[in-house]
Amino acid sequence: MSRALGAWMLCAVAGVAQAQASPEALDWLRRIYLATEKLSYTGTFVYQQGERTETSRISRRAEAAGSIEKLEVLDGLPREVVRTRDEIRCYLPDSHTVKVDRRRDQRSFPALLPAQVSSLGEYYTIRMDETRRIAGYDCQAIVLAPKDELRYGYQLWADVQSGMLLKARAFNRKGETVEQFTFTQLAIGPVPRERLRPPTVGRSWRIEQATVTPANLVQAGWSMNADLPGFRKIIEITRTLREAQPVRQVVYSDGLAAVSVFIEPLAGRAEAPAMGLASMGAVHVYTREVANHLVTVVGETPAASVQRIGDTVSYRPPQ
Amino acid sequence: MKAKISAMMDGELEAHELSEPLSSLAADQEVRESWRTYHLISDVLHGDAILAANCARRVSQRLAQEPAMVGPLPGPVRAPERGRWFVPSALAASIAAVAFVGWIALAPQRGTAPAVAPAASLAQTQRVAEPPRVPVTSATQDYLLAHQVFSPRNSLQGMVPYVRTVSDETVQKTK
Repeated sequence: MSRALGAWMLCAVAGVAQAQASPEALDWLRRIYLATEKLSYTGTFVYQQGERTETSRISRRAEAAGSIEKLEVLDGLPREVVRTRDEIRCYLPDSHTVKVDRRRDQRSFPALLPAQVSSLGEYYTIRMDETRRIAGYDCQAIVLAPKDELRYGYQLWADVQSGMLLKARAFNRKGETVEQFTFTQLAIGPVPRERLRPPTVGRSWRIEQATVTPANLVQAGWSMNADLPGFRKIIEITRTLREAQPVRQVVYSDGLAAVSVFIEPLAGRAEAPAMGLASMGAVHVYTREVANHLVTVVGETPAASVQRIGDTVSYRPPQ
Repeated sequence: MKAKISAMMDGELEAHELSEPLSSLAADQEVRESWRTYHLISDVLHGDAILAANCARRVSQRLAQEPAMVGPLPGPVRAPERGRWFVPSALAASIAAVAFVGWIALAPQRGTAPAVAPAASLAQTQRVAEPPRVPVTSATQDYLLAHQVFSPRNSLQGMVPYVRTVSDETVQKTK
């Protein structure tokens, strides 16, 4: 009993003392990144969130000119998302809608680059974990345990041979799973082009094009302060959502988790949306009203982090 | 011995008579059980509701209020003997009280949704008021898609996290 307690305390002390990440685990994160960039594959994965599970098929074809990826939800209505180098299209058969989000510039996308992986060690303790077989692949697990309660922890299982991510689990400070993606079947290798063909869209379908332009919120009178350690502003834009008026969007990230702040006028809305906190697995959505504007904060972080960023939003008419 | 314990509880013993029951309390588990039982009986008679908690808390409170005795004590009762039985039982009482309060405090939290970190427990933060809970709405899907595009997790998981943006939960409510 006392020996077990001693061993536990030793681990706890060692955990505090060893703040930096294990170099081997960081190399694994870089391998996962490269596999995500380079591999072609098709597979089936299960998305788990609270009591809900949803099975989807994913296909990726790596091409020199840019890869094509397609995700098809297999449960319920056949929703699909197709991503090419330039744009992302969501096909939603129930509302006969295609949502299009154009990627205007590759460089503006806040990818987690291999060179930035080691900086994750500032906010997460990164270490090697168990080895386990998943969907027929021998996998190595890596754990990113958060150093504070502002972000979730992650456990990632990657194929020992290819580095392909087979399973990802997000967990809260109690260690409970808040969201999980698990491949149940995966074939790595060339994928024929036909597999990536987008679904046919009827004439009655509505196409919602999102246009994105750079923005400066401070000049427009808005101020917000992500006083969360490690969360830095990575992009600031004005965009359209649905067919509504332009919406301002600011994205904060610690290199792995991201939080977006959306600001849009409340005037002209048919009905005022409910203000408060909505949750969907690891994603929290916090809405509040500021100066007759709707502020919506969306983040893959604990609810309190999303709320804290949202609560700092304020408006002063520009001079 | 039990009669002497009972008499001691009722304050019927003289100072010189205390040494025997006190040392038997320190040495004998069974005598200590009797001591607790008598206190429970006394609590019941006095109409106290939460017996165990009351007993433990009162004992530790009394001990905390009691001034430290530094000088020599009159009579045959010697300080070390008194200390010997009081210290472990005080410790036990404190632990019992803390454990009980802890159990009460933690118990209702077990059933709550795991996704939400209670705001008050944030280590490095000021206390934030809990906002009202609202359901996921049709608009959520648009925000999720606009947000997902910028998530660095795409770099490790490719398109897999995009499943959230077309998840049944958001799509069902779009209607």
